[in-house]
Amino acid sequence: MSPQRFLSKSESLVPMTAQALVAHVLESGDFYAAVAVHGIADARQRQRLEERLFGSRRDVLMLARWEHTPANVLDALSRLEHMPLAGRVVKHRNTEGSTLKHQFSQSDDPALTGLLALHANTPAPLLLQIAMGDHDQVVLKGLARNPSAQPEVLRLLAQRFPRRFDKEIASHAAVPADLLSTLYHRGDKFVRAAVLAHKQVPEALLLQAAKSTETLILRSLVKHPLLPAATVDALSQHKDNAIRAALATRVGLPLALSARLALDDSDSVRRAVACRADLSPALMQMLAEDRDPWVRQWLGRNPVVGKHVLQKLALDIHEDVRRAVARNPNCPITLLEKLASDHRSWVRAAVAYQPNVTSCLMASLARDSAVDVLSGVAANPHTAPALLKRLVFSDELDVRRGVILNPAAGPDVLLPLLQDPYYLHRVMLASSPKLSDQDKWQLRDDPDARVRFALFQWLAARALRPVADRYFYRRKA
Amino acid sequence: MKIVVAVKQVAALDDDFEIRADGLDVDEDFLMYDLNEWDDYSLEEAMKIKEAAAEGAVEVIAVSVGPERVDESLRKCLAKGADRAIRVWDDAMEGLDAVTIGRILAGVVKKEAPAMVFAGVQSSDQANAATGMAIAASLDWPHAAVVAELDYQPGAATARIKRELEGGMLQAVEIDCPAVLTLQLGINKPRYASLRGIKQAAAKPIEHWSLGDLGMDATQVGATAALSRVRRMEIPVKGRAQMIEGTIAEQAAKLIEIIKEYKGEAA
Repeated sequence: MSPQRFLSKSESLVPMTAQALVAHVLESGDFYAAVAVHGIADARQRQRLEERLFGSRRDVLMLARWEHTPANVLDALSRLEHMPLAGRVVKHRNTEGSTLKHQFSQSDDPALTGLLALHANTPAPLLLQIAMGDHDQVVLKGLARNPSAQPEVLRLLAQRFPRRFDKEIASHAAVPADLLSTLYHRGDKFVRAAVLAHKQVPEALLLQAAKSTETLILRSLVKHPLLPAATVDALSQHKDNAIRAALATRVGLPLALSARLALDDSDSVRRAVACRADLSPALMQMLAEDRDPWVRQWLGRNPVVGKHVLQKLALDIHEDVRRAVARNPNCPITLLEKLASDHRSWVRAAVAYQPNVTSCLMASLARDSAVDVLSGVAANPHTAPALLKRLVFSDELDVRRGVILNPAAGPDVLLPLLQDPYYLHRVMLASSPKLSDQDKWQLRDDPDARVRFALFQWLAARALRPVADRYFYRRKA
Repeated sequence: MKIVVAVKQVAALDDDFEIRADGLDVDEDFLMYDLNEWDDYSLEEAMKIKEAAAEGAVEVIAVSVGPERVDESLRKCLAKGADRAIRVWDDAMEGLDAVTIGRILAGVVKKEAPAMVFAGVQSSDQANAATGMAIAASLDWPHAAVVAELDYQPGAATARIKRELEGGMLQAVEIDCPAVLTLQLGINKPRYASLRGIKQAAAKPIEHWSLGDLGMDATQVGATAALSRVRRMEIPVKGRAQMIEGTIAEQAAKLIEIIKEYKGEAA
């Protein structure tokens, strides 16, 4: 990207009020801007916007499917007659409960009930109505999996269809503890494992499950924080690797047990130990010599690991181990300086992303030619603004995106990126609080509809704020 | 020298749609149009050759067959750096197939006399993977399909290519030029059009050619000349799939029940 491509800011002023903004959109005839401002228009303006938006069947079908269509437009769509829209509107994630309720009252299509049972915004009484009256197993299974389903719905399903949806119900976050007990006692090993994995599982069930010999049950059980110490000790000898690996992740494990698990034959168990926050220096030294590079890698990432062990791991033959050290939040600056000249760019990139590096080191890394490294430099808040201003014109879009994501990049750095060839970058900037509305106003004629939509959506949200705030945003730059 | 890049505006579908009243295609209101993904790579390869050569030495021409809406896709090609764009359409072309499209594009190639013709391996909507080969057949030119690497210097008598085969194999081939190549996804990294490119493309003309411009008539293209015709479009009836759940014993009992039902035995 050449610096010459940066064009000057637009001369016209961004509309200050909701009414003026909608009037501008109506005059421009921009379809996607009309979608964005529909929610802030007054009744008369809204009617004119809808004439533009719902003028053709093709546009209406597209809007009902488009992932960004806001709830108010979906609601207006749901009230259009003679359009095959019900399925699309009910399936849309932005559709609100009132619209879903309206659709349910207007349609006798059984397929819609299935979509309503799955939708996260379906009102609670409607979900309960489906749970009470529907017999379709697919619909009811979807309902049991709906994260918005309330305990009454789950209880009703468990009562109407014993065992049929028990596994789905047992995995649901809203299932009450007493229902979990019921499901456990009547369930097979899969249902019982799901019950034991639940956060609300009653303690009595844990004690009961500790006597089980079923591997699946024990795998769920071992993850629970309230497990008795005797059970923990017994499970550390279990032949199943997954059980011992899960055990190795438990908080408050006796140090002697950690030490024993660090010698385990299974790589996955030792990897879990390498992540522990209570590793003793001796264990760290031992794990740093482990034959499995993943163990050393997890150790390298572990923030409790001391300087000497990190120094050893920084010389590892595997680049992912060295990279892990470079990513360690407590990696000393002297070690980062060494890793910054590693022969593998994957390692140098980890240094470039480190929040602890000095501006001096960033200046050195900014001379790198690898995209991964430069992307890290671009995203790092310690990079000097002068360097960021240079990286804004990189040919690599990952590097330019790094600058956009950099929390320290100011408006003077970001301004040229309003002309970035990649539409997503312009979308990100249209919603960035760092640029003034007046700066963004040049995106109103952007060739990409998604950028224009993002801009007008941002301005529509701003238009609802107090005038003084909007004035500040317009004049700031 | 010229490089002709054959591009197509492809249609994508959502999961709910309606078939047209004549049953031959999907109702157009349910279709979303965009430039074929493979063609992005073909155009980029042509642009790479152009940019590596002296200024003005290589002219990249994007060509497509289709109605007015196709201009939008050709405009994208211009925005990415194509020097010219040609859209060929005539009402007599309604009902054409991959072979007749190849014949029409070959007509354009004869008029433009390029040193290379690029096309995508296939289109994402029809997936015939035939247009490039049909062009080559009409022209009687050398051709290579599924090209994953290309080494070509403008004006050279041959090009070196690597073709993608089954099992991750690559076949190194030398091909005489001019040739028709169908390019595979991943051969390069397609660019995004700059805002300046998009603005400039908006002002560039798209040449609209008819059958007469190609010295062809209705008997050579369209439904009557096509070697294949769509008889109807249909949505297959979904199979009766069912997840068998429960304990192993319960699952086995259910399976036995299903098998008996299919054999006509009493449960």
